[in-house]
Amino acid sequence: MSPVEDDPAGARRTQRLWSQGWSRFRKNRFGMAGAGIILVLYLAAALAPMLTPYDPIAQGDVPRMRYVAPCMEHPLGTDKFGRDVLSRVIYGSRISLMIGILAVTIAILLGALVGAAAGYFGGATDAILMRIVDALLAVPRIFLLITCVALFSGSVWLIIVLLGATGWMTTARLVRAQVLSLRNLDYVKAAEALGAGGRSIIWRHVIPNTATVIIVAATLRIGGIILTEASLSFLGLGVPPPTPSWGQMVFEGREALLSAWWLSTFPGIAIAVTVIGFNLLGDALKDAFDPRQFV
Amino acid sequence: MSRFLVRRLIQSVVLLFIVLTITFFLLRLAPGDPMSRYYNPDFSPEMARQVRESLGLDRPLIEQYFRWIRAFARGDFGESIRYQRPVRELLAEAIPNTLRLTIAALALHILVGIFLGVLSAARRYSPFDRVNTIAALFVYSIPEFWLALMLILVFSLKIHALPSSHMQSLDVEGMSALSLFLDRARHLVLPAFVLGIASAASTARYMRGSMLDVLREDYIRTARAKGLPENRVILKHALKNAALPVVTIIGLDLPFLLGGAVIVETIFSWPGMGRLAVDAIYARDYPVVLAINFVVAAIVIIANLLTDIAYGVLDPRITVGRGGGK
Repeated sequence: MSPVEDDPAGARRTQRLWSQGWSRFRKNRFGMAGAGIILVLYLAAALAPMLTPYDPIAQGDVPRMRYVAPCMEHPLGTDKFGRDVLSRVIYGSRISLMIGILAVTIAILLGALVGAAAGYFGGATDAILMRIVDALLAVPRIFLLITCVALFSGSVWLIIVLLGATGWMTTARLVRAQVLSLRNLDYVKAAEALGAGGRSIIWRHVIPNTATVIIVAATLRIGGIILTEASLSFLGLGVPPPTPSWGQMVFEGREALLSAWWLSTFPGIAIAVTVIGFNLLGDALKDAFDPRQFV
Repeated sequence: MSRFLVRRLIQSVVLLFIVLTITFFLLRLAPGDPMSRYYNPDFSPEMARQVRESLGLDRPLIEQYFRWIRAFARGDFGESIRYQRPVRELLAEAIPNTLRLTIAALALHILVGIFLGVLSAARRYSPFDRVNTIAALFVYSIPEFWLALMLILVFSLKIHALPSSHMQSLDVEGMSALSLFLDRARHLVLPAFVLGIASAASTARYMRGSMLDVLREDYIRTARAKGLPENRVILKHALKNAALPVVTIIGLDLPFLLGGAVIVETIFSWPGMGRLAVDAIYARDYPVVLAINFVVAAIVIIANLLTDIAYGVLDPRITVGRGGGK
C-alpha cells in the first residue's frame, strides 16, 4: 500500500488520508457536478411548497384541465386528474431522496455491523455470516423485495426497512475485507501489543479507517436504491398514492403513453438525473479516497 | 482441480439449502393465506379444512418444512395452489422464455460491452472515449422500466417499427418457419435491448479499465517494439488478458439480469419466470414462489461456479484449490 503504513500514529495517518482525499475530490469536475445536482435536488425537496406553482395532490378542474400538454402555465403538462406534473415531480423528490438516504443508512449500518463482526471474530461466526451473505446474494434482490413487500403489504416505512434489509450484503463483504486487512497492519498489531483492548482498537483504528470505505459504498448504493424503489413503485408495490413518487408517476403515465407522453417522460428524467448525481459523486469520492480499493 | 470442484459443489448445495430455508420461513411467517382465493359463500369451513389437509397446510410448520425439503431433493416442486397444475409444468413453460430473453440480453451485454470498452481504451481520451464514458453513466442511471416505455413510445407507438408486447404475434398459425423466426426476433429486440444495455454499459467501463491496465504491461511494450501493428497488439496480445477480470463481472451480473427480467417481462407481457413470480406472489401461491426462488438461486449459483472454472481455464497463473495443485 502506501508508505504511510509505517506511520506508528494511526490517528495521524487517518487525518492525512482525509485531507488528501478531500483535496483530490475538489479537483474532480464530474464529482463537483454530482454534488451540485444533489444539492439542488435537496433544496428543491426542502423548498417544495415555495417552488411549486400548484398543489401536487388536489385534483384540477377535471374535464378542462386533464392531459394539458406542456405550455407556459404548466411547463410539464398536467395528468389524468388535472394535476400539475411539474409540482408533482418536485414533490416526488421528497419521497425518492428520503427513501434513498434512510434505506442506505440502514443497509450500511447493517452491512458494517455484520462485516465488522465477521472480520473481527473470525472462525465460525465469520463462516456462518458469510454463507448467509452468499445465499442472499444468490437470489436477485428484486425477487426478495417483491416477495417481502407483497406479503407484508406496504407503507413508506416498511419499504425503507426492506430496501435497507436487502441491500447490506455487499457492504458487509467490503467491511469484512477492510477489517481483516486492518487487523494485520503493524500499527494495529502494535496497539494490541501495547495492551489496547478490543473496544479501543475498534473505535480508534478500525472505524476511522473503514469510514471512507463505508461513505463511498453508501454514496454508490443510493443511486441503486432509488432505482429499486422506483421499480417497486412501478410494479405497484411502492409508496401508496396519492403521495407523488416518481416511479408511480411513470407507471400512471403508461396508460396514456401515446396521447400524453409527458406523464411518463418527465418523472423518469427526474429519476435518471438523481441517480446520475449520486453516481458521479460516488465515483469521484471513490477515486479521491482510495484509488485501488474498489474494483 | 477436482478437489476444488467437489468443495465448490458442496458449498453450492449448502447455499441452495440456505436459500430455500430463508424463503420458506419468510413466506410462511408473512400474513396472508393462499386459501383466501377459495373464500366465497358456498365454501364451507369444512371444505376449507379438507383442502388445507390435502395441501398439507394443517401440519406444524417445521414438519411442512422438512417435507418440502425432502420433496425438493427429489425434484418434486409440488402443485400450484392457484392453477392446480404441477409447478414443474409451469416452470417448464416459463423458463425457456426467460432464458431466450436473458441469453439475448447477455449476448448484447458481452458483445457491445467488450467492443465499446476495447475501442474506448484504444482511443483513450479521444472524443469517442469521452462520449462513451458519459453515455455509459447515463445508461447505467436510467430506470429500466422508463427506458422500456420510452422505446415503446418511439418504436412501437410512433413509427410502428417493432411490437410492444408478447413473444410472438397472435396469428402465427400457418406461418413458415422463417417468418415465425423473424416474427419472434422482432418481438425480442426491445425487451432484450432494455435488459442488456445497462450491463453492457458497466461492462464497457470495466473492459476499458482492464484494457488500459494491460496496455501498460512490459510484454505489450515488447510487442509494440517488435513493430506489430497496434490492432494486432490490442486484439491478439492484450485482449485475452484484459478480458479475464471482465469474465467475473459477467458471471456476477447474472442475478442482475434475472432481476431485471421481472420488470422487463411485466412491461412487455413476456410469459417468463419473472411474470410468473409476480403473479404467484400476489396470489400467495407458495409452491410456485418457492420453486422460482430455488430455480433462480440455482441458476445464479451454477453461473458463479462456472465463472470460477472459466477463470481458472483462461488464466493458467490461477491455481484453484488450497493445495495450490491443479
